Amino acid sequence: MTGNGDVPDRSRRDFLKQAAGAAVAAPLPPPHPTEQNYKPSFFSAAEWAFLNAACARLIPEDELGPGAVQAGVPQFIDRQMSTPWADGGIWYMQGPFIAAKPEFGYQSALTPKQTYRIGIKAIDALCQAANGKPFAALQPAQQDEMLKQIEAGTLTSPEISLKNFFALILKNTQEGFFGDPAYGGNKDMVGWKLIGHPGVRADYLEWVGEAKPYPYGPVSLYGKRG
Amino acid sequence: MKRLIGVVILLGAAAVGAIAVTARGVPPLPSVEQVSARIADLEHGRYVATLGDCASCHTAPGGPAFAGGRALATPIGTVYSTNITPDRDTGIGGYDFAEFLRLMRHGVAPGGRWIYPAMPFTAYAKMSDDDLFDLFAYLQREVDPVRRLNQPPAIAWPLSWRAPLALWTKSFHHAQPFEDDPAQDAEWNRGAYLVQGPAHCGTCHTPRNWAMAESEEPGQFLSGTAFNGGSPINLRGNQGDGLARWSEQDVVDLLRTGRNAHSAVSGDMVEVVAASTQYFSDDDLRAIARYVKSLSPADEAGRGQFAASQASLDRIMQGKEQSSGGRIFMDSCAACHRLGGGGAALAFPGLAGNASVLSKDPSSLIAVILAGTSLPSTAKAPSPLAMPGFAWRYDDEEVAALATYLRSSWGNQASAVTASQVAKVRRHRQ
Amino acid sequence: MPIRNKPVDAVIVGFGWTGAIMAIELAEAGLEVLALERGDDAHTVPDWAYPKVVDEIAQSARNGLLQNLAKTTVTLRHSKDEVAVPYRQMGSFKPGQGVGGAGIHWSGVHSRVMPEELRLKSHVTERYGRKFIPAEMQLQDWGIDYDELEPHFDRFEQVCGTSGKAGNIKGVKHEGGNPFEAPRSNEYPLPPLTDPPTSRLFAKACVDLGYKPYPLPASNASRPYTNPYGCQLGPCNFCGFCSDYGCINYSKASPQTTILPALYRKPNFTLRTNAHVLRVNRDASGKQATGVTYIDAEGREVEQPAGIVVLAAFHLHNVRLMLSSKIGTPYDPVSGEGTVGRNFCYQLINSVNLFFDPDVMVNQFMGAGGVGQAIEEFNADNFDHGPLGFIGGGVIWGRQTGNGPVRGIPVPAGTPLWGSGWKKAVKENYLHSGRIESQLSNMAYRGCYLDLDPTYKDAYGEPLLRMTLNWQENDLLMSEYVGAKLMEIGHAMGAKSISGRLLKRGSSWDSRAYQSTHINGGTAMGSDPKTSVVNKYLQSWDVPNLFILGANVFAHGIGYNPTGLVGGLAYWAAANLRSRYLRNPGPMVPA
Repeated sequence: MTGNGDVPDRSRRDFLKQAAGAAVAAPLPPPHPTEQNYKPSFFSAAEWAFLNAACARLIPEDELGPGAVQAGVPQFIDRQMSTPWADGGIWYMQGPFIAAKPEFGYQSALTPKQTYRIGIKAIDALCQAANGKPFAALQPAQQDEMLKQIEAGTLTSPEISLKNFFALILKNTQEGFFGDPAYGGNKDMVGWKLIGHPGVRADYLEWVGEAKPYPYGPVSLYGKRG
Repeated sequence: MKRLIGVVILLGAAAVGAIAVTARGVPPLPSVEQVSARIADLEHGRYVATLGDCASCHTAPGGPAFAGGRALATPIGTVYSTNITPDRDTGIGGYDFAEFLRLMRHGVAPGGRWIYPAMPFTAYAKMSDDDLFDLFAYLQREVDPVRRLNQPPAIAWPLSWRAPLALWTKSFHHAQPFEDDPAQDAEWNRGAYLVQGPAHCGTCHTPRNWAMAESEEPGQFLSGTAFNGGSPINLRGNQGDGLARWSEQDVVDLLRTGRNAHSAVSGDMVEVVAASTQYFSDDDLRAIARYVKSLSPADEAGRGQFAASQASLDRIMQGKEQSSGGRIFMDSCAACHRLGGGGAALAFPGLAGNASVLSKDPSSLIAVILAGTSLPSTAKAPSPLAMPGFAWRYDDEEVAALATYLRSSWGNQASAVTASQVAKVRRHRQ
Repeated sequence: MPIRNKPVDAVIVGFGWTGAIMAIELAEAGLEVLALERGDDAHTVPDWAYPKVVDEIAQSARNGLLQNLAKTTVTLRHSKDEVAVPYRQMGSFKPGQGVGGAGIHWSGVHSRVMPEELRLKSHVTERYGRKFIPAEMQLQDWGIDYDELEPHFDRFEQVCGTSGKAGNIKGVKHEGGNPFEAPRSNEYPLPPLTDPPTSRLFAKACVDLGYKPYPLPASNASRPYTNPYGCQLGPCNFCGFCSDYGCINYSKASPQTTILPALYRKPNFTLRTNAHVLRVNRDASGKQATGVTYIDAEGREVEQPAGIVVLAAFHLHNVRLMLSSKIGTPYDPVSGEGTVGRNFCYQLINSVNLFFDPDVMVNQFMGAGGVGQAIEEFNADNFDHGPLGFIGGGVIWGRQTGNGPVRGIPVPAGTPLWGSGWKKAVKENYLHSGRIESQLSNMAYRGCYLDLDPTYKDAYGEPLLRMTLNWQENDLLMSEYVGAKLMEIGHAMGAKSISGRLLKRGSSWDSRAYQSTHINGGTAMGSDPKTSVVNKYLQSWDVPNLFILGANVFAHGIGYNPTGLVGGLAYWAAANLRSRYLRNPGPMVPA
């Protein structure tokens, strides 16, 4: 035992308590496949409307098949907001935060949760100012135009780097479209089926020597086959 | 159900015969003058304890060695292994050798208490006086005494009544040490002695009769059975579910390391290798292999057969495998066991022609699918290669489909598995 | 008052590849060995169980097996005139965590080193003249030669079950192997892995262009294998989840698959996890290590006395521990004095994506981390640098490591990154595209170094390690030259379009995109204490009972992946510690 007054440094002990829960590898995610009448736990109604609208543009439903919304991507993103990542738990978030060259990556103090909240608010505010309505109420072509400007950096906000926000939502949308269905998106493995990815089958010894089409559909973590 | 009827009949018979039996009393203490003249070989006694695997049952998980307290499931309830450290009050410190010999030979403890055959005295009875003498000396002098009271069995009355035990033992037990077969050589006899005696293989691998005694029908010794939630395999010379395709070296390898070119241990056998057989001498393992490989095939009726076939693999490679079992195999098993069912030499057992896969009773196969298994780490083969379980991924129907696929692919021909068989194993594990 | 443990003969800080190697070698010598690992234990089952581990969200998107940067990270800047900022999100390099470390999630490419790279300064001077070395480049000989290391390269390959084809066994050339290979004592323990489509296309194009491709040596077993410790590997099944992932079926060499089952049976070895070492302690003279101090799982400070201290953590932590423990003189880039932190190097990777016609199946979801075909015409000094004006080189390869859509689907240049156009592009290209790369050496420079950051701290309140690094003209010139060769091969493979990144003059080190985790240097080995931290036996010049392992002992960058050299050096160090140091403790090389 440590001696009388020798209590370990508070930040160290707190950190250790927090980190103690982290197992070596992430355990199996609890099964939360895409639901019919999903109620978001993080996003407000207005934010949810934005999210669905944005996802629908980033990966639209089209002649190639379902898009992000049909695949449950907004549910995926909402569920991700309950993970440590959403609070910056796997990023180094100590200050000071200073601007740096782009090569050194993300230097903002904002967590993913904050980025979504502030980013959605900022975009809707810009939208309101320009069009008298929020992003979700625009026509798809208008939405596309706005996203392109954000992506290019020509549409900005003083509240937040919209470019950063766009990068985040695009990445999360693709994660949700292609991640395992247990996380809430990639409903019925539509993302995997679109591209011909066999999911988590992860066994190709007899196939790899032949440059031929792989004849089987995907399988998910929980064993569902597509 | 059969078991329950057996128990009821046994009790009925016991009720009639118990008084007569009790009146006749326990066997007298054997004469030990001759063997007691021996100077005990303590190192040999330690080796005999390893042969008999005393420590595994007589040690509670995480508990002190030989101090008892491990729960052993029996058909009539749970018994707890006893303290066989030399503690005078709670262990066997107060025994003399004659009492120990009577216990091992006759199944009667000091004070005349008949013991449950969960303690396989039915096999240990075959051990020689010399081996038992050295074993006793080892337990008394080399093992640390530990004070630990024996836990009474958790068996409901009237099944807890011991009198039927006396009848059972007198009816089914042969209290004689092993005798060499003069038609066989020393190595074979040594193997027979080890298998029938201290290694007590028959306790798990031999089917039992209506009274739960090991069958003595010809050709049934070690012919495989359902036992303790698993299905110890047929060790006789059958081509499908037995060891006909194994060499003697294969038998040695399996006992030394838990793995060989054909198969790998699972379930209760993992501990047997880890705690006991991996430490047998080379000569003893060869003797056991010699003896086991000399066993004639058991009656083929109802047993799995094997005739190697490419058809299953071809089907998969042509993109035609659509059965639930086959697709589950591709999704969960082939990554190690390979699409052709051949496994990977000494690392992942092949499933094609595998005695455990082909076993009449599929309980072990189901148990491994549900819970996975791990090879023991042994001195010669230290990697505890493990298979994860899939109970979380598949329901009973799916596991049954998978097990059926395994038992009917690559030339395997064994009976289909049902969802209720899977459910039973799943329940047993909870 | 801190807790004080009973002393051990050797304490090993960090328990990945080098920690496991040193632990088993010292335990076999009969020492009482304690390994301290700040992360958790990990085993194939349950931690990398199939199929749970091949979860792209958990592992690739959320870095499940990697170091949690919230706990400890580094700061980055291009030059000493900038303020360094934290590496806040995983990008350029991926440090591991826990027992096994980066040995869990590495790819498995397992090469050695070219003999001349170990004495590159002398070699370049001899061949090209002293003036050929740019002023700012800090080349230095390593103080060891290839022949001394050869048996230890061989040993590590035997332990790993490396799959490959030898090109030179004891001086006899073998067709089909690496024609530039330095002599080996033995063939590889396992034959090469089956070539996936990308590798076959690459090899054919290389042959057409007059090169001599050979199978990249891979520590992904091509067959079931039992190594000299009795540990077993299963055959790689090309699952496509190598880098970032623990191996599902015991086929990738890791400490867990190749060493730990044998090591854990030794009664004189103990592992303590959740033990974060803060510093190496020394006696009053400063010349003898007395042990280490660590924080245990409950946050208490514990002192662990030991007769020998081995730093076997990942590169970054070894260097930082030297600095935090104030052992040796920190390097000063202005004066050029000091050695700890000197010569920090990395590796340059040019990576291009090839897009083929729809009738060409590549099936990029299949692959193994180490499998591939490679050419070495542009590695080390295999070609005449005279007219080219740069030093260094590397390997060009066509690998197929496996991929999945969450890890990113390459699309042809100009493709929109979202919308229906993107959707069409990923659908059309996912099964018909591959990647080829050139991996190049990064030389050592005066201004590229490591020290402690003045501002940012880790979760324990300790200063972060600061990296000052940028690509210099020499290396970028090399990259342009070899990059052009790479593109030529890509076209010869029949790609209808090519996209990707080629570093050229003017390019800066970009920490955002993953490149490789091949950071090295900082506690260089050498024969001169003025420019090195450890001698040829990896023994500290300053503290004779302190040994330092890892890529941090590289004197400068090399063309190959570092793991083969890191492992070989660890076996070399262990062998000499046993045969020389234990018999006669003290400096093994007169200073």
